[in-house]
Amino acid sequence: MGTPTTHEPVRIEVRGLSKSFGRVQAVSDLRFTVEPASVTGFLGPNGAGKTTTLRMVLGLERPDAGTATFNGAPYTSLSEPLKTVGAVLETAFHPARSGRNHLRVYCRAAGLPLSRADEVLTEVGLADAGTRRAGGYSLGMRQRLALATALLGDPPVLVLDEPANGLDPEGIQWLRGFLRYLAHEQGRTVLVSSHLLSEVEQTVDRVVIVGAGRLVREGSIEQLRSGAVGAGTVLVRSPEAARLAEALRAAGSTVIQEDDGALAVTGSTAAEVGGRAFAAGIELHELRSQTSGLEEIYFELTSGREQFAAHSPTSAIATSANANANANATVTDTTEAAR
Amino acid sequence: MIRLVRAEWTKLFTTRVWLGILLGACAMAGGFAALFTGFAGRNGDNGQALPDVGTSAYEQAAFGISANATVLLLILGIIGMTQEYRHRTATPTFLVSPRRGRVVLAKLIAYGLAAVPIGLLVIATDVLVVEIYAGARGAAPSLSGDNLRVLAGAWAALVIYAVIGVGVGALLRNQVGAIVGALVYLFVVEGIVIRAIPAIAPVFRWLPGGALEAMTATLDDTDLLQPWQGGLLLLGYGLVAAVAGTLFAVRRDVT
Repeated sequence: MGTPTTHEPVRIEVRGLSKSFGRVQAVSDLRFTVEPASVTGFLGPNGAGKTTTLRMVLGLERPDAGTATFNGAPYTSLSEPLKTVGAVLETAFHPARSGRNHLRVYCRAAGLPLSRADEVLTEVGLADAGTRRAGGYSLGMRQRLALATALLGDPPVLVLDEPANGLDPEGIQWLRGFLRYLAHEQGRTVLVSSHLLSEVEQTVDRVVIVGAGRLVREGSIEQLRSGAVGAGTVLVRSPEAARLAEALRAAGSTVIQEDDGALAVTGSTAAEVGGRAFAAGIELHELRSQTSGLEEIYFELTSGREQFAAHSPTSAIATSANANANANATVTDTTEAAR
Repeated sequence: MIRLVRAEWTKLFTTRVWLGILLGACAMAGGFAALFTGFAGRNGDNGQALPDVGTSAYEQAAFGISANATVLLLILGIIGMTQEYRHRTATPTFLVSPRRGRVVLAKLIAYGLAAVPIGLLVIATDVLVVEIYAGARGAAPSLSGDNLRVLAGAWAALVIYAVIGVGVGALLRNQVGAIVGALVYLFVVEGIVIRAIPAIAPVFRWLPGGALEAMTATLDDTDLLQPWQGGLLLLGYGLVAAVAGTLFAVRRDVT
């Protein structure tokens, strides 16, 4: 994989990006930061504006408002773009050109030695297929060739749009390790988009979650886990609910009486709740901690945010009304937090 | 800029489009030259005799015949530009060179220069066929004077049409649309419609087809421009299309 070199730290800053296509507002006042030497997951459901955002970050589409910069410089003013940022967007090759020649075109254009083409082919495991026509590549091989193109200039920043699409499980495993290696061992800034949290959960250090073109959450995976709705809640049932609630409140916990009579306790672990009940001599019928998985949190944060939600049949709107209400509440949270 | 030009050459010569264009253009020039030589001196349907071998009218027409292959060089230029959109390679191309006008300029230069040897092979095929066939019929034309000027004009026209192709491709972006549009324009609009309407016929000399005829003018046509004027006019059309394309089409979002 080449000698481990530490790359110049480059921070990507997205500030107030907005873009609309006709009447559809694809991206609205989006702002987030991507830190060096880490893998940042750019998450959101399909149609959330991820690709549009990345294309604006890379100067391929012009934002209606806002900026995206690499250590302060927009992509279009970088003097050697390929040596600063490597990008994997849609897999775009001339089908009649071999993978190796495809890479050589961009070596020429970026003023890199042609030998880089063979080096990156080896890095992504395509050394044997380099002389074959790219049109005959499998989906996984195309993704690898796209990644090889991004690596040509040995850039400190990598921006990857859904790079796991079309990879087999083995390929996804390989990609995870490769991205971590590029960020943690080589100090690169890696921004990788996905609509599936599970796909990147084990790879990313930080997440930027978008829904309907707006920022929903930004932070580390740990922050996402702890700060999420339902995290650290203990559910307890007792025939003496009122007395138990009083005892728990006295101990500093927040207690909410649910409709079905159960108590939702935050600020205590299940063991602490059990201990207090025992000390007060209160009978318990149920005691369980309710930690949501990341996947649930992600779903909760993004549900009802697909562009298409507005066009779905009435029944779907009715069932997702509750989720929408939650989602709207979260939007308010983040906008306030941003200020 | 030299990097981008070399990248364009790498693109051009790593697929086989250029070879097809080259062979097609040579076959076209050689084939038309053979036909024209074969029918030289014979009476057409309208009773008008085609100029016979040995006459300067025949020689200049035979040497100017490779200008017919300009249409293939035009297509080469169109493909060179529009393939970026057709195969979506515009994305990596503009990632390497975010200033898109430079990409268009590099293509104009790269295709213009690539058309120089291609054009030379095309007129060489024409000359070869004419010298052998007309020689067999009794009078091999000399490579001097007006004959040479016609050959040079045809060569320059081939090169300039490749440049125009890049410009047209930049303007229209859609490969099939650009090729079909260019062919319809050259053969239907200019070839038939404009010449058929006397009121606007004088405009023809200022159009790409008229300028092309001027470059290889043979039949003492006073309605045409001077060859060098025709060449400059054609080059101007190509550059105007390229600039307009850069401003209005290429700079649009790549999606």
